[in-house]
Amino acid sequence: MSVTLYRIDDRLIHGQVVVGWGQPLNIGFIVLVDDDIACCDWEQDLYRMGVPPEMEIVFTDVKGAISNHAGYVSDKRRGIVVTPDIATMHRLVDGVKTIGDVNVGGIHYKAGRTPRLRYAFLSPEEERELSVIAEHGVRVTAQDVPNARQVSIAELLLSKPVEEKSA
Amino acid sequence: MILVDLLPIILLGAFLGMDVVSFPQAMISRPIVAATAAGAFIGNAPAGLIMGAILELLALEMLPFGASRYPEWGSASVVGGTLYAESWGSPAGALTASLLAALLTAMVSGWSMVKLRRLNALRSATVREELDRGSASAIAGLQLFGLTADLVRGALVTMVAMLVFSPIVPAIVGRWSVDARLSRAIVVGVVAAVAAGAIWKIFHSVSGARLLFIAGLAIGAVLVVLR
Amino acid sequence: MTSSLTSPPGESRVSLPATTWLRVFFRLFAVQGSWNYETLLGNGIAFCMEPALRLLPSGRDNPRYAEALARHARYFNAHPYFAGVAVGALARAELDGVSPALIERFRTALGGPLGSVGDRLVWASWLPLCSLLALAAFGYGARPSLVIAIFLGTYNAGHLFLRAWGLRAGFSKGLRVASALGNPILRKGPQVVGSAAALLAGIAIPLAASRVIGNGRFLAAEIILVAMLGGVVFARFGGRVEGWRLSLVILGLFVFFSVIR
Repeated sequence: MSVTLYRIDDRLIHGQVVVGWGQPLNIGFIVLVDDDIACCDWEQDLYRMGVPPEMEIVFTDVKGAISNHAGYVSDKRRGIVVTPDIATMHRLVDGVKTIGDVNVGGIHYKAGRTPRLRYAFLSPEEERELSVIAEHGVRVTAQDVPNARQVSIAELLLSKPVEEKSA
Repeated sequence: MILVDLLPIILLGAFLGMDVVSFPQAMISRPIVAATAAGAFIGNAPAGLIMGAILELLALEMLPFGASRYPEWGSASVVGGTLYAESWGSPAGALTASLLAALLTAMVSGWSMVKLRRLNALRSATVREELDRGSASAIAGLQLFGLTADLVRGALVTMVAMLVFSPIVPAIVGRWSVDARLSRAIVVGVVAAVAAGAIWKIFHSVSGARLLFIAGLAIGAVLVVLR
Repeated sequence: MTSSLTSPPGESRVSLPATTWLRVFFRLFAVQGSWNYETLLGNGIAFCMEPALRLLPSGRDNPRYAEALARHARYFNAHPYFAGVAVGALARAELDGVSPALIERFRTALGGPLGSVGDRLVWASWLPLCSLLALAAFGYGARPSLVIAIFLGTYNAGHLFLRAWGLRAGFSKGLRVASALGNPILRKGPQVVGSAAALLAGIAIPLAASRVIGNGRFLAAEIILVAMLGGVVFARFGGRVEGWRLSLVILGLFVFFSVIR
């Protein structure tokens, strides 16, 4: 399978994705799934500048990502699919039954969200939605960079705000 | 070593600890600078430089992405450089023990940075109403608080590490039983392996990196022989 | 999405006086002063932008001054050396009277790419290159002051240039700053620097190792060979292990062994 990471990250394209995961995993393409950005040229221009020339970036809405998913999987290069929020990933998982793992990489502070990890702040609604994704048989874990500890969804949701732990 | 003697080292550790993230991020906190400066502070810059080079080889691996967790090399290198420069003249075990102390300090200091970031968040929450009103003084006050707290953090880490390790390192050196050159060889072998692995991880996607690295090794080998 | 959010506005009508530019520039060195897990760089961005916002008509008395500070003190992330691009571009948008909704959208889109460009160019290229240069100088026998001068001089030439360029580019391009980020130095730089670093790594690691070991070329050669093999194994199979932690464990065991023997 050439999609090596399905990531929820509100920063979308940034250093942890492009360098942190991109370099060790030899990533050749990134699929950015966001309904708003998919139809906005100047935002796409900005995100494109965050990706090295040798890496392809594909902008698509959820509908497009679902219909083109088989193409991402059969691509010879390795890829990352990134969504800005849990709701978008939930819709993607609903439409693509073969997604087995989802990575929570960065959901940052906003009013109404509680700190769960130093890089994951969740509202009650978002916690419910993550649980629903997991109930579909998808393995949901949190991990910001490859050498950090992988935190299971049980630890993420059932505990009090999670204390800092290292790899 | 009493606290007054430690004061210059504590201040150096505080300032270089702050350089890692808060101010001015000019990389004076990199081990090769920080440990050498610490060695120079107690009159033995060459010893500090050796410790700095070893820690720099290890530090190559950790890319300091803003939000991820990483060791804090600034204060740790000051501790390592000072301890090794103080033990100069008793080579067997001094390098290994000082390096171990520096690595433990880097680990604790990295943890203290996480705590500082949480403290900054708490402070930010207490002035959130003012921030939401766009108060310039609240914004500047929060910056000043964070900078001061980081300076204090670096000073505390350096002080505690020096107080703990100053007696431990000579005690280890006193009981050291392995040959001095073999001890150095083991240290160098470990850090050079980590450095080579780090270079591979960072640059393996660069076109021709493997050949360039091998070509570099050939040049390096010639220079080692000629030096 | 409203039509006003589909394209950034045109040319600026405001210039940045030299004194304001300098105030903002020097504040940028402390942009991460209150870094925290909730707003990350946000407060620092507002802190750096504040002198520029005084240029609004009626200065601090303009309601937009406080509104803008509140807006920019919220969550934001970027590479610290490229934060100037954001400060410049967002300050210009505020001074040009761009709608808050568009500014919000632009802020959201700008942070990630600025982090990515900076992480690739600085943390994953320029910093390792300068470290390796200093290690090579150390290995070749340079005295401490020269090693430090080589590292700090080289590294900070790039560092200061990037900070100054970023603020200038951000303010002059405003919301059209993507074109500045397309600069070939930023796009191709990491590859070029990476090639130089790979070559330099091959030179620097054996030289530095040899100087630490001291006299004894055969021992140095053996150690370097073992280290390179260890490096390959570590790179191949140690993807999730941090080298410094591994070193800590190995050295801890070694100290224990040597002391109790």
